[in-house]
Amino acid sequence: MNRRTFLKLAGMTSIFYHALLRDLAAAQTPVLAVAEGKDYSGITMNAVRALGGMKRFVRNGDTVVVKPNIGWDRSPEQAANTHPLVVRAVVEECLRAGAGKVKVFDRPCNDERRCYVNSGITAALRDLKKVELKFVEDERFRKVALNGTVLKEWELYGEALSANVFINVPVAKHHGLTGLSLALKNVMGVMGGNRGKIHRNIGPALADINGTLKSHLVVIDATRILTGHGPQGGDLRDVRVLNKVIASTDIVAADAYATTLFGLKPADISTTVAAYKKGLGEMNLNRVRIVKA
Amino acid sequence: MKKMSPAKISQLFFLFLFLLLFVRTEYRGSDTISVAVNSFFRVNPLIMTGYVLATKSFIWLLFPALLMLLFTLFLGRFFCGWICPLGTILDLATKRIRKTAPLRLFKGNLKYWLLFPLLSASFFKINLVGLLDPIAILVRALTLFLYPLFGDSIRQGWIALYRLMGDSRDHLAPFYGVIRDYLLPFRDTFYPLAFISTLFFVFIIFIERYETRNWCRNLCPLGALLGLAGRLSPFRRVPGRTCGDCAACRQTCPTSFDMDILQKEECILCMECVLKCKMGRARFQWDSITSGGQPFLPERRVLLGGLLSGFFLSRLFRFANPEARAGLLRPPGVRDEGDFLEKCVRCGECMKVCLKDALYPAVTQAGIEGIFTPMIIPRLGYCEYNCTLCGQVCPTGAIPNLPPDAKKLEVIGKAVLDKNRCLPFARNVDCIVCEEHCPIPRKAIRFEPLKDAGMSDKKVTLKKPFVVDELCNGCGICEFVCPVEGMAGIRITAVKDRSPIGGGDIQSNGEEADPYH
Repeated sequence: MNRRTFLKLAGMTSIFYHALLRDLAAAQTPVLAVAEGKDYSGITMNAVRALGGMKRFVRNGDTVVVKPNIGWDRSPEQAANTHPLVVRAVVEECLRAGAGKVKVFDRPCNDERRCYVNSGITAALRDLKKVELKFVEDERFRKVALNGTVLKEWELYGEALSANVFINVPVAKHHGLTGLSLALKNVMGVMGGNRGKIHRNIGPALADINGTLKSHLVVIDATRILTGHGPQGGDLRDVRVLNKVIASTDIVAADAYATTLFGLKPADISTTVAAYKKGLGEMNLNRVRIVKA
Repeated sequence: MKKMSPAKISQLFFLFLFLLLFVRTEYRGSDTISVAVNSFFRVNPLIMTGYVLATKSFIWLLFPALLMLLFTLFLGRFFCGWICPLGTILDLATKRIRKTAPLRLFKGNLKYWLLFPLLSASFFKINLVGLLDPIAILVRALTLFLYPLFGDSIRQGWIALYRLMGDSRDHLAPFYGVIRDYLLPFRDTFYPLAFISTLFFVFIIFIERYETRNWCRNLCPLGALLGLAGRLSPFRRVPGRTCGDCAACRQTCPTSFDMDILQKEECILCMECVLKCKMGRARFQWDSITSGGQPFLPERRVLLGGLLSGFFLSRLFRFANPEARAGLLRPPGVRDEGDFLEKCVRCGECMKVCLKDALYPAVTQAGIEGIFTPMIIPRLGYCEYNCTLCGQVCPTGAIPNLPPDAKKLEVIGKAVLDKNRCLPFARNVDCIVCEEHCPIPRKAIRFEPLKDAGMSDKKVTLKKPFVVDELCNGCGICEFVCPVEGMAGIRITAVKDRSPIGGGDIQSNGEEADPYH
C-alpha cells in the first residue's frame, strides 16, 4: 500500500466512519424498537425513528416497496390485515426521507379489490402523491434461484425484487399451521405460483425465500393482535388491543419479540426457528437490544 | 349529417345506457350496486309473464314490467323501436347487410309457436322464457364471450407491452389503470357455452340478410308478446295500408309491411313512414276503429298446440345425471332447486358480477332444462364471504338479495374431505391451507394432531383437518385453494337441506352454536 492509497483510505474511512460503526454495532447486537400508545401513526414513526430514522434506509429518489399484510377481506378492527394508519405512517416516513416512489401491494387470498378497500388501506393512502397502491400483475413474477434447503427456485414478484428498499409491515396474528403469522410469513405475499404447496415444509421454505428477498426494515403492527382463528379471524372476541408497534432491521428478532406478545416462546414458532438456523437473524431476545420508543 | 329521428336518438341512448349498466355490473369498490343491467329485465314483460306463470305469484321487483305492458296496451310495440338494445344493434348492422328474399319458413305462426310453448312450460314450472328473451340473449353473448374476449385482448396487449418494455411500461400505467378500473372485466374468465350463447346472437344478425328486423318480426317471443298486447292499442298509423300511388312504406318500414296491409302487431312505432312520406299522408293518431282484413294470428290450434308442447317441453328434459347433480352448487341463498328453476331468467348477470368468477352456466349438470342456469365451480372460483352482489343484480330474486350477515349463513353445499388426496392423510405431510382460508370466524374446518406420522423414520406430529358440518356454508374457498393438483383433496358437494348455519356463531355476541367447543 503506498502513501496515496493509505491517505485515500483514511479519508474515506473518516467519512464513512459513523455509518460503519453503526452497521458494525447492528451486526453484533440487533436493535429492536417497541413503541406504545394509542396514536398509531405516532408510535409507528417513533419506532422507526428509534432505529435511526427512515433516512437510514431510504435515500433520495429511491423506489421503496412497502409490503403490508392485506391478505383478507376483513376490516381493521378484525386484526387480519395491517392497520391502515401504520401503513400510512411508514409510507409517509419514506416520503419524508426523500423516496421517489413508494409502491404498496400484496397478493391477497380473498378478492384483492375487496381486501384493499375493506382493510382501510385504499382510503388511507388515497391522497398521498408518489404513492402507488397496486394490484399484483402475474406477468411481473420472475423465477428466482433460491438454492435453499427446501426450495431451489420460486417465482417472486419483480417489483419487490427491483425496489431499492423493501419494507416488511406485517400484522401480528395467529395462524393455524405456523402458530403465528409475522414478518417472515408476510413475505409470502410476493410469492407467485401455487403458494399452498410450501405448507408441507413451511418453516425452512419461508427461510429460503427470506434469505433471498431481504427485508431492509421490519415494522410489525401489534396495535391489535389476532389471538385465535387466524390468519383471517373475523371474530372480535379473538382480538386483543395492545397499542404496540415493533421495528427492527432484524426480521428474526422482530418476529421473536412479537411472539412474546402472544405469551409464546420464539422457539415455539417453526418459521422463526428455521430462519434463525439459516442465520437470518437473532431469536434469543436477551441478545437483542430492546429500545422503548 | 342528417337529422336523427326521435326514435333513433332514444335507441342510441338506451343502447348506451345498456352498455353502461352492463359494464357497471361489476364490483368497483362498493359493496352495493345501485343500478345494474337488471333494469332491462325488470321492465321486460316477457320475463314478468314467465315469472308470474311459473311461480303463480308476483314480485315487486318486476313492477316496471307491468307498467311497460300497460303502456304497450295503449301505445303498441314502442319498446322494440325505441328501447330494445338488440333491435338497435340490428338497425345499426342491417344497412351493411345485403338482402335476399324473406324466408317463408319464418312467416305465419312461427313466433307464436315459440312464445306459447315457452309460456306454457313456465306454467308447468319450467321457466325457459329467458332462453329466447332478446335482452337475455344479448347479455349472455356479452357476458359469456364478447366481454371476456374484449378484456382478454386488451390484457394480453398490456402483458405483451411488459415483455417488450419491462418496467418502463409503468409510464403507461395510469392510462391503463383508468381502462382497467372503469371498462375492463377485472378477471379473464372463459365460460362453457360461450360458443352457443354467441351463436344465438350471431344467428340473429345473420338472418338480417333475409329481411330487416327478421328476428323482431318473425321470431322474438318478447316482440310477439308485446305485439299481442299492442294489437288493440288505439294509437295507430293511418292509412292502414300502402297507398296505390306510392307504396314507398314497404321499403321504409322495417317491420310491418310484409304485405300491403299494415300489420299492427309488428309496428314498432319508429315513425320512419311519417318522416319519409312524400305525400304527407302517413301519420299516427288515436283511433279506436280496427282496420279489418288481416288474417287473425295466431290461430286457435297454435294456442292449443303451444299449450300442449309447453307441457311436453317442461317434462321432456328432466333427466340429469345424479353424479353431476352432486356438483350442482347454486348461488348463495338458493335453497330449493325447483323454486330456482321457476324464477331464474338465465340472463348471466350473476356470472358477470361474481367477484371471484365462481359462477358458470350449467351445461347438462341440472338437466337440459337447466341449461344456462348459474352454478358454482369451486375449483375455478369460490363464493366470497362478504360479497352479496349476485343477489343484488338478479332481476327476479331467484338469487335472493340478502344483507351480508344473512348471506354468510346461507348454505351452498358442504365440504367433504377426500382422504385419498388430502395431503396429511395421503402423503403424511403438513398442509391445512383449507383451514387457513375458511372464512367462518369459528372455523368450519379445524384440525387435530395426528401423532407419530411423517415420511421419514423420525416420526412427527401432523395437523389433520376435519370439517364441522354444522358450520360449513359451502363457500368453496377450501376447494379453490387446495394445493393438490387436479381434483382437490376437499370438495363441496350439493346438499338437499340448505337451512342456514347457526347465526349466533357468526356474531360476536355469545358462546352458543359451536357444537365442538
